[in-house]
Amino acid sequence: MLILPAPRAVILCLGLQLLFWLCLAPQVEAQAVVPGLAGDHALSEAQVGELLIVELRCAACHEGISASAATVPPAPRLDEASWRISPEYLKAFILDPAGSHPGAKMPDVLARFDPRVREDAAAAIPAYLSVLAKQQGAGPGSVFEREPVDAARVARGRKLFHAVGCIACHALSGNSPSVNAAGELPDSAGAAVGLGHVASKYSLASLSDFLFQPLRVRPAGRMPDMGLSRVEAEDVANYLLAEVSMTEDSDPVDLELAELGGALLQKLSCVSCHDLQGLSAPAPVTKGRNLDPTGGCLSEDSKKTPRYQMSAAQRAALRAALVAEPEEVSDAARIDQTLTSFNCIACHVRGEHGGVSLELAPYFGTSEPELGDAARIPPPLTLAGAKLNLEWMQRVLFDGEKVRPFMDTRMPQFGEANLAHLPALFESVDHLDPLVPLGFDGDEERRAARDGARKLLGTTGLACVACHNFNGKETVGFKGIDLVTSHERLKFSWFKRFVVDPQEYRPGVVMPESWSGGIAAHTEILGGDTDKQISAIWDYLSLGRSARDPQGLSSVSQELVVGDRTRTYRGRSQIAGFRGIAVGYPGGLSYAFDANNGTLSGIWRGRFVSARWDGQGAGGFNPSSRPIRLAQDLSFYKLKGPDDPWPLKPVMDEENPVNPDPQYPRNRGYRFRGYHLDQARTPTFMYSFGKLDVTDKCEPILEGERPVLRRSLSITASDPETIWFRALTGEVQALGPRAFKTGELELRLERAGEHRLPFGETVLRSFGEEDPQLELLIQLIIPRGTSKWRIDYELLR
Amino acid sequence: MNCFVEGCGLALALSFCLVPANAEDLGDTWGTAKREREYYRIVQLAIPEGLVIEAGAFHRLPDNRMAIGTRRGDIYIVDGVDGEKPEPVFELFATGLDEIFGLEYKDGSFYVTQSCELTRITDTDGDGEADRFDTLSAEWGYENYHEYAFGSKFDEQGNIHIALGLSQSYNSRALFRGWALTVTPEGKTVPIASGMRSPAGIGPNEHGALFYMESQGPWNSACSLKAVSPGSFHGHPVSLNWYEFAPELGPAPVQPKSGSRILIEKDRVPELVPYAVIFPYIRMGRSISGFTVDRSGGRFGPFEGQMFLGDFSLSVVLRATTEKVNGVWQGACYPFREGLSTGILNIQFTPEGRLLTGGTNRGWPVRGIKPFALERLEWTGKMPFEIKRLSVTPTGFHVDFTKAVDVTTASDPGSYVLGTFTHIYHAGYGGPEVDQTRPVVESVTLSEDGLRATLVLDKLTLGHVHEFDLGAVRARDGEALLHRHAFYTLNAIPEAR
Repeated sequence: MLILPAPRAVILCLGLQLLFWLCLAPQVEAQAVVPGLAGDHALSEAQVGELLIVELRCAACHEGISASAATVPPAPRLDEASWRISPEYLKAFILDPAGSHPGAKMPDVLARFDPRVREDAAAAIPAYLSVLAKQQGAGPGSVFEREPVDAARVARGRKLFHAVGCIACHALSGNSPSVNAAGELPDSAGAAVGLGHVASKYSLASLSDFLFQPLRVRPAGRMPDMGLSRVEAEDVANYLLAEVSMTEDSDPVDLELAELGGALLQKLSCVSCHDLQGLSAPAPVTKGRNLDPTGGCLSEDSKKTPRYQMSAAQRAALRAALVAEPEEVSDAARIDQTLTSFNCIACHVRGEHGGVSLELAPYFGTSEPELGDAARIPPPLTLAGAKLNLEWMQRVLFDGEKVRPFMDTRMPQFGEANLAHLPALFESVDHLDPLVPLGFDGDEERRAARDGARKLLGTTGLACVACHNFNGKETVGFKGIDLVTSHERLKFSWFKRFVVDPQEYRPGVVMPESWSGGIAAHTEILGGDTDKQISAIWDYLSLGRSARDPQGLSSVSQELVVGDRTRTYRGRSQIAGFRGIAVGYPGGLSYAFDANNGTLSGIWRGRFVSARWDGQGAGGFNPSSRPIRLAQDLSFYKLKGPDDPWPLKPVMDEENPVNPDPQYPRNRGYRFRGYHLDQARTPTFMYSFGKLDVTDKCEPILEGERPVLRRSLSITASDPETIWFRALTGEVQALGPRAFKTGELELRLERAGEHRLPFGETVLRSFGEEDPQLELLIQLIIPRGTSKWRIDYELLR
Repeated sequence: MNCFVEGCGLALALSFCLVPANAEDLGDTWGTAKREREYYRIVQLAIPEGLVIEAGAFHRLPDNRMAIGTRRGDIYIVDGVDGEKPEPVFELFATGLDEIFGLEYKDGSFYVTQSCELTRITDTDGDGEADRFDTLSAEWGYENYHEYAFGSKFDEQGNIHIALGLSQSYNSRALFRGWALTVTPEGKTVPIASGMRSPAGIGPNEHGALFYMESQGPWNSACSLKAVSPGSFHGHPVSLNWYEFAPELGPAPVQPKSGSRILIEKDRVPELVPYAVIFPYIRMGRSISGFTVDRSGGRFGPFEGQMFLGDFSLSVVLRATTEKVNGVWQGACYPFREGLSTGILNIQFTPEGRLLTGGTNRGWPVRGIKPFALERLEWTGKMPFEIKRLSVTPTGFHVDFTKAVDVTTASDPGSYVLGTFTHIYHAGYGGPEVDQTRPVVESVTLSEDGLRATLVLDKLTLGHVHEFDLGAVRARDGEALLHRHAFYTLNAIPEAR
């Protein structure tokens, strides 16, 4: 039972559109739509007939009918039909495929029966499928359910539909807001796979699921995977279902009816095409090609066979194929047939045929319009097998590999099972006399070749990188195909010919002739020898990541930016040693902590840090603004007395590169214990000195005239202990008993809340022999329990 | 990881480090990718725009999500790696760490091996982001360029083992560089083995014994798998200077002599562990990295219980098997799958028994052209015809196949072309294959099921890699081997029973 709750205006609109098509649209002969056949294909009439034998799955019943011995494309899976397809639609479609979906390839299998039988059959088959789906627990839901669409998603889906390539096979929606009722433009009606039936057939969930993974339900790949993400598939589904919303009741499943349905699926030979678990296909009705070319399925009103939607031309083509002497199908013809079956020719030129039609061309977009049509129109397949490595063709066809991120149209995935033969066919048919790159022997010659190639590629040479990315890095100009992919994709024989004469091998491409007529423009590089230059470039591109970047690439910023929370970043650094930690606060104050030695080793204001992640870079950091450098030696130590020297970190140099005190400072009692983050992601460092546990947290005070880093320290002791804290080094002056300064900062020791300051003596003494400096040492008399205090570091610059 | 840039100090490591113009060539591919794909598909796992995921370590979480630790110091938790058409969802769990090459998880915490330390990382407030980072061990020197640290998973006792690369890849200037350390469940750090050069993976072999992956370079003419045990010495003597800091291991082993052979030196240096599986250079990888064992229960094909290894330079995945003979580990390696998109730093099986691979291609020569990638290898369900396993007998080898062999070709001794070679054990960087021999296959016996050929050779040569070319052997259905080569490293010959 169909209920139409759609607004009256919509219904009126749909009605008017239908009326329009009924009255005004040219009368299009009913036929099974194979979109490639309406395009600019290379097939003769008999070859069209052969293709129809495959596309209409004739060999499913007529064994040996196909001259090319092509396998029968697998028909859509029906085991999930009961949740994927509206029960009303399913019934209507079984009763009248052509009426429900003009252009459908499925024949009317009930045409020969009287209306009562037809009605029963059309009810019984869905009942069977419904029971089957329940048994298998198939699909996200076992019941077909409609949901309302979302207007924002409709708009996104509409954009995707027109951009990614759906329009190549499906009628274009033109300026009409809907394709549902009027899926076809007058001049392309019959050529395209209409979508007028989609709104009544699918729910949002089932259409989204189908568009996300079409090959799961229709393994034949004629509806390819367009590389839509799940979200994109939902968007397109919203668009395609935008104008119709319906609810319907499904009848309770009648088990007896279901049983009848199973029997009918076998009796009507449905299972010859549709694979259904537990139902075996009947034996083939005929063998060989000696069929009556006017009777059976080829007659328009057969009383014995299923009835196909076929135009007179299609019938003629089939007859032509059947009467033709069977002959070996050439590899070239197999390519033509494949490219037509899968409608590759809607987007790709091959030789004299195929290519994007004038009407559709405006819908092929790009993010790099300056690179011309080559950036928006899919590449020609002329000489594809001579151009591309077999493995690369496989990766593009079957693994979704792509090198043209700027192109809006997506290369569809048709399924490896369906096109596994194609790369080898291209390779066997397409031929260019082989060219071999020159070799470069010996270190000197090789170095010269690589230097030459680098110059040629860069902006002071041929400036290839003005329009091509390189090694994953963007150029400052146009972002064309990454040159480093060349070696993996291309054959040298094609590459060399192409760069010498781009227009011959890629008509219309925006690519200069750098060796016009085979003569090198840059005579100063590699002696101006064309062969040497092109071979050197080829060799250079084979180096991949280990090739140095040519001049002219933009450098990637590896600046770490602090957002609205504190950022903590670990890595080697000259300001904090190998176990360095940088902490940056929102507002632009940062400090470095040397976790190896337990020392606050630098403070700066301004930008945070840059990290080294290129080359072998292990992610070491450098402050992005000039830091105030503090000592990197251990901060806490139990001096034996005021004359005991502070244990300095070991120094390695070229003459003594091995660490002379390799356990420093762990052998002085220090252990780093880690850190924890608060809600603002500000770290509190934890470390221990002997039996004392220290926590150490800094926070920025940015209100005053000069920024202050406020450091809160706490020490927990199980037994009273006296140790020393080295608070500051350099040109230290005392401003008071608890305040000190250097040229760059002022340091103040403060109470933390009610805690008593644990300070004993303060010693300002010199250290170091060659370049004596002062060090400020503070004696800490730590009682049992937790002692806390604060240090403010006020930045003077 | 293999380094050819010598002697970069901290300053240089922090500055811009250019790759020399005479960068190395990567050699030929195996040429098997187009056939391999029939059996093992490579599926790209799309990384959302804006994220850089240079995977260095993987871990499968109890809830079947995968965790990824990266060279850039992030930990992502990823849902949906096993989807039929995968659309993985990445959640950033922790950031700002220092090159992650070890990842494990237990009781709500990650155990993360970074260059600087082993850290337990926890989300204590349950908001999905880590907020507590407890340092479990930083008991090693970290002061020079190229001092990478690779961490294992927990072993049965709950230990994590950490393999430490040399300083600048040639020296041992900071404590325990070139050593393996064990961090016990109680948090104690114990040095266990020395003599490593540039380890790139550490963990159990298929029998649960601790192994690490060594890279080609000084004292190592090829990459190899080596068995690690308390007191073992792995051949590079520059790290012998730290024995005074590991008194429990006793005095340092004596210095091996450069220019010798590994088994000759083993007689002089009892702690020296011979390479268990040598991966002939270039032919079988150039910079082999992380490894794992197939415990997928057959969902990954016929190699259940075998080791899989990634290679950084050649962007391939390899396979290995080991066996212990007369108390010494040895075994074989086999090509598996080429054509990955980036340099592989680590691999790990997913909950559905697919092999997750990842890495980066910066810094060293790499065949894969993507700066970083996550890819899933999955078995198509079609049985490849492969050399499943080589194992040694007192008089030759068992060759196990994945499919029954054709009697005519497989019972012909001429179908088994064998050669052997060894390497010079020396301080030089890499080295040639030397001392070649040509063993004669005297007889072949096929098992009734056609899955095993037993070869009797005129001679087995200790200390040599025995290389097999079985290009002439056919399966019963006439199929040629997907990979015709395999390489067995022979350190010991079992006694005849």
